[in-house]
Amino acid sequence: MSKQPGGDKVTRYIVIGMVVFIVAVGVIFSFVSSSSKAAPYPSIVSKSEGYGIVFNGDLKNVPKVDIWEDMQCPYCGRFEGVNGPYIQKLIKEKKATIVFHVLSFAGPESVLAANAVACSADEGKFLQYHEYLYANQSPTENSGKWSTEGLLSAGSEVGLTSSTFKSCVADGTYGQWVKNVADDGAAKNINATPTVFKDGQKLDGNVVFFDPVAFAKAIEG
Amino acid sequence: MKKLSPWLGLVFRVVVGAVLLVAGYLKAFNPSKAKMAVRAYEALPIPVANILGVALPWIEIGAGLLLILGVAVRQTAIFSGFLMLIFIIAIAQAWARGLSIDCGCFGGGGQVDAKDTKYVQEILRDFGLGLMSLYLFRYPKSRFALEREKETHE
Repeated sequence: MSKQPGGDKVTRYIVIGMVVFIVAVGVIFSFVSSSSKAAPYPSIVSKSEGYGIVFNGDLKNVPKVDIWEDMQCPYCGRFEGVNGPYIQKLIKEKKATIVFHVLSFAGPESVLAANAVACSADEGKFLQYHEYLYANQSPTENSGKWSTEGLLSAGSEVGLTSSTFKSCVADGTYGQWVKNVADDGAAKNINATPTVFKDGQKLDGNVVFFDPVAFAKAIEG
Repeated sequence: MKKLSPWLGLVFRVVVGAVLLVAGYLKAFNPSKAKMAVRAYEALPIPVANILGVALPWIEIGAGLLLILGVAVRQTAIFSGFLMLIFIIAIAQAWARGLSIDCGCFGGGGQVDAKDTKYVQEILRDFGLGLMSLYLFRYPKSRFALEREKETHE
């Protein structure tokens, strides 16, 4: 068991050095990879709305509804099931400005799905695709359902079959945009999904999210 | 006791080290979730919470590696004891203020249903890990450590 004097000191400093190196590289890498950078985004996206996907952005004197969501979050799926048709109606009848902020904290398939819904916006089919993905959400997150293949075949169900859409999904064209949205959510202290604001006021999810009458009242009242 | 304690030290090193390593690893590659977990405690300014969310998982990985390898055990153990104390305070304040959050210790985190909170288990677990850390600080000599610690007593 006896070692040369000083032997342990060398081991100690080499190991400490390596561990410090791993920690430093990890922290720097995470900072760089999760921070905002200029990147392409679909034309429907507004940078000044926190990189959100904006419908009816030009309307005046209507409520503005900000919806923070994650395509894999089960509550978001339930929320969409209850209030999705109403939100689509608000958009169609030009009764509100709706901003979708697609977050991606539930894992790798949330990142893929967020990119894919941006791709669908380029084709003018965001609302249909968004609805389809929620209606067919997997009960478990990152199950493989929203892999690139899964997202492409979901796209073909709503008529998203163009080669631009396919390469956009497969290449992760809007990958950095996904991070920019996430970074904006972090800066705005969004700690749960769905989180909904009406004209900047946070709605109480326990009261209105799963009651369509109460939700409509909160938006229009 | 004298014969057993280096083995006990090994067990504590591996348990505390592995928990830190796994906890760090599960958070390190989803920084946006890790940031959310720290923000949800509502105890720090948002930008500070976001920085901590990114850095903390890697610091846990570093401390876990040092404990498992058995290098700088005394210093790492007092650091991990300090970390557990901070975690206990953070969870207790969230509980006391009536927040409904997951501790986000092993990934996850953020707001949860009030019935899904596990404050008691989380605090007890961190208390246990904290005690093991204190033991390692007091008796850092243990089996299969890369670095041989000097006896600090007797």
